[in-house]
Amino acid sequence: MGDLVIEGLVKHYGPVLAVDNVSLTVPAGKLVSLLGPSGCGKTTTLNCIAGLERPDAGVIRVAGTILTDASRRIFLPPERRRLGMVFQSYALWPHMTVFDNLAFGLRLQKVPRDEIHRRITEVLELVGLGGMERRYPYQLSGGQQQRVALARAVVSQPAVLLLDEPLSNLDAKVREQARFWLREFQQRLGITTVYVTHDQAEALAISDLVAVMSAGKVLQYGPPREIYERPATRFVADFIGATSFLDGTVSDRVDGLLRVRVGGEIELCVTHALARQPGEPVVLAVRAERIALAMDGDTVNIVPGIKRSQVYLGSRYQSLVETPAGTLRVETAMELPDGKVRLKLPPEALVVLPPEEGS
Amino acid sequence: MTATVEAARPVTRRSLDLPVQVALAAATVALVFFPLVPILVQAFSTRPLYDPVRAFTLSNFTRVLSSGAFWSVVGTTVAFAALTTVLAVTLGTVLAILVERTDLPARGLLNSLVILPFYVSPLVLAFAWAVIYGPQGYLTIRARQLIGHDPWNLYSIPGLAVVSMVYYVPYTYLYCTAALSLSDPQVEDAARIAGAGPLRAIRAVTLPLLRPAITYSALLTFVSALELLSIPLVLGTPAGIRVLASYLYILGIAGGRIDYGAIAAISVLTVAIVTALVWVQERLVSEERRFVTTGGRASRIRPMELGSLRWLAFVFVMAYFTFAVLLPLIGIVAQSATAFLSPLINPLQVLTWENYRLILETEAYRRSIVNSLIIATLGGAIGILFMAFISLMSYRSEFPGRRALTYLALYPRAIPGIIVGIGFLWAFLLIPGLGAVRNTIWALMAAFIMRYIPLGFGAVSPAILRISPELDRAARVAGADWLGTTRRILLPLVRPALLSGYILLVITFLKEYSSALFLFARGSEVIGTTMIELWRQGNSGPVAALASIQIVLTLIVLAASSALLRRR
Repeated sequence: MGDLVIEGLVKHYGPVLAVDNVSLTVPAGKLVSLLGPSGCGKTTTLNCIAGLERPDAGVIRVAGTILTDASRRIFLPPERRRLGMVFQSYALWPHMTVFDNLAFGLRLQKVPRDEIHRRITEVLELVGLGGMERRYPYQLSGGQQQRVALARAVVSQPAVLLLDEPLSNLDAKVREQARFWLREFQQRLGITTVYVTHDQAEALAISDLVAVMSAGKVLQYGPPREIYERPATRFVADFIGATSFLDGTVSDRVDGLLRVRVGGEIELCVTHALARQPGEPVVLAVRAERIALAMDGDTVNIVPGIKRSQVYLGSRYQSLVETPAGTLRVETAMELPDGKVRLKLPPEALVVLPPEEGS
Repeated sequence: MTATVEAARPVTRRSLDLPVQVALAAATVALVFFPLVPILVQAFSTRPLYDPVRAFTLSNFTRVLSSGAFWSVVGTTVAFAALTTVLAVTLGTVLAILVERTDLPARGLLNSLVILPFYVSPLVLAFAWAVIYGPQGYLTIRARQLIGHDPWNLYSIPGLAVVSMVYYVPYTYLYCTAALSLSDPQVEDAARIAGAGPLRAIRAVTLPLLRPAITYSALLTFVSALELLSIPLVLGTPAGIRVLASYLYILGIAGGRIDYGAIAAISVLTVAIVTALVWVQERLVSEERRFVTTGGRASRIRPMELGSLRWLAFVFVMAYFTFAVLLPLIGIVAQSATAFLSPLINPLQVLTWENYRLILETEAYRRSIVNSLIIATLGGAIGILFMAFISLMSYRSEFPGRRALTYLALYPRAIPGIIVGIGFLWAFLLIPGLGAVRNTIWALMAAFIMRYIPLGFGAVSPAILRISPELDRAARVAGADWLGTTRRILLPLVRPALLSGYILLVITFLKEYSSALFLFARGSEVIGTTMIELWRQGNSGPVAALASIQIVLTLIVLAASSALLRRR
């Protein structure tokens, strides 16, 4: 068992560059999410791994077996890659029973009959659908179909499991349960998995590692916490969570503390000071839920503002507050008072980003 | 289950995908070019094709283009086709709106009645109209008795156009009803709410929405009418009216010395013009719109209320069907069973089986029925599978030439049936080793299949396009190659479309005659060629008997198919 390695993957559609030099290593047994908005190249990347798309450049290999090497004109067709894949629509063959859907790949591999029966029974048991062998796909609920698709993908014991937005067709409620369930399932099998999604909450919840993609490029690749707390670019910060951005200039640097002047009079302290020099323009990113209403005694990183609007999210309130430094999105457990408010932006909650780096 | 994951192992099994795809593509190329090449060669040759000493020349074209007869034929053809198109498209659109959008009584029944002529051979329709409306026709004589002179002349360009209209109305009707069932009726409701009356809403909203369908059907009708042989041949020849197809027929078969060069030159010119028209037609409609699917929509729409006009409209549709379709068909059946059909004699007194006896006892005539049945059932089956595979390659494979293949598959629309026959005949004569096939029904089968690739392709493709590509991708990832995916996943899923496409081909092959006219030989007669032979000998009784047999066979196929399709 080995890692899935992607090196220098490039895919054009006519003049459009869908995948722009993507390199990733998916460690054996880990679940890696490709996260990004539609059109970012995540599904194209997945299809290149599956062999459903032929990349213009790049190498893809699993445990030393080369699946694709564009420069050497090696391209294994999808049927020879021994992968498992779950499609967004599940792609269960409507004219076959659950059993036949699962047996399809096994029969092609010339697995003996008894073995086919044993494996299908086992895997259906594992996804909680024991006894459903004779059903047709249309006789199953959405959640059951999704699990049949998953069972079909793993029953032939593939080297890598590919999941293309497998939860996006489920109701919100079922989707959250499925998230836990899918994570547990993947860990139990210990199967190397690539998971494509545009849902940031899903990616953070389920993954060992997340690759955030935009315009065909991987912008940041790391564990979910790192992606969330230390976004590397403005795009990543913006795409994940509710984030506000403040333009400013570095005014001072003392003891690992960076002082950034934003919106005229206000100066904010930042703990995570990268190598920034005074006078340098920067952007500060701050998560909505990290902003709090200031207490009377607070003096550091206080921003005054006026509440403009508010929506109730169920457990929390999200407000837009206009401040001299810019408009801030604020998420609080308690309702913010109307009119003037004093907000506190904790130094450790601020992330320093380079100014306007394109996206 | 434990995670026993192995590395992808190299598979030694060789896939047959590419060889099969290449073979299918080669067969398509061969079929489509087979009839075209000899015609092109002949058009630019000084001597007939079979003559080994021939040189390049343009004289065939100059001779044809400078002949007055040719230009008068072209004029007649265009006038006939244009009039047919105007009549058929107007009536087809009106019928479509009435049946699809209003509260006309018995709309389901009217729908099937309006489509009916689609299943009848235009040759049969021509004979049938002659029985009722010809100079010695039943109703013509009746009218003459009443008013003292003939109220109409069927053997005229307007007469030909009216009969052809009946044949072509279903085309416009089907395209317009499909377009109507796809469009949202709420746009009409919106017009009503904005203050428009029903007729105003139709004029302001429905008709403009139908414009693409109308334009498309108009071009389709015009192109088909340009190459139509049967109706002009049967009803025009007695009055000396010649169109391109009947002109070619007379030049090649019925005339004296055969001018191969002229036939080829006219064929090349015709194909060039039709190609241009088909190209325009394609430009008007995007790829997907070409395959308009009929039938079944999700929710029934509240129809527009016609009020007191409701029954008037019903009578109008019924009268059209009765006089244009039902009476002629009853007439031809009546003629087949009588010695002499006339309003002057009680038909029951002249009942006879003589016509049927002649057909069934003459070996060549009987054989033509058997041949038609074999070609329809067997050729239809081979054809629909072949066409389905072309469509699967076009839309569901990584075959490098699939775009070109799509165009090639649709190209036979630009080759008139009679020219398909000429081309196949010459190709069989020219290519050594094919002589043995030339006089068999296999030659006709090949020509019929080639001619109707676009029909089968169009019948199967919407169903193929409707299948989610993820279904075949899933099969590929599960380890199946293209052939395996096609056989196990795609073909089973399009089985209903294959079946209805098959029925369409069976009916089409049963009534096909134009591509067989040049090609058939002793032993490979079909119903259509025998009807024309009998008609040329002036045997209207046996023609009627054969036409009735063809109608009955078609009805049997239709009844069997609707029973089959309903069971699913």
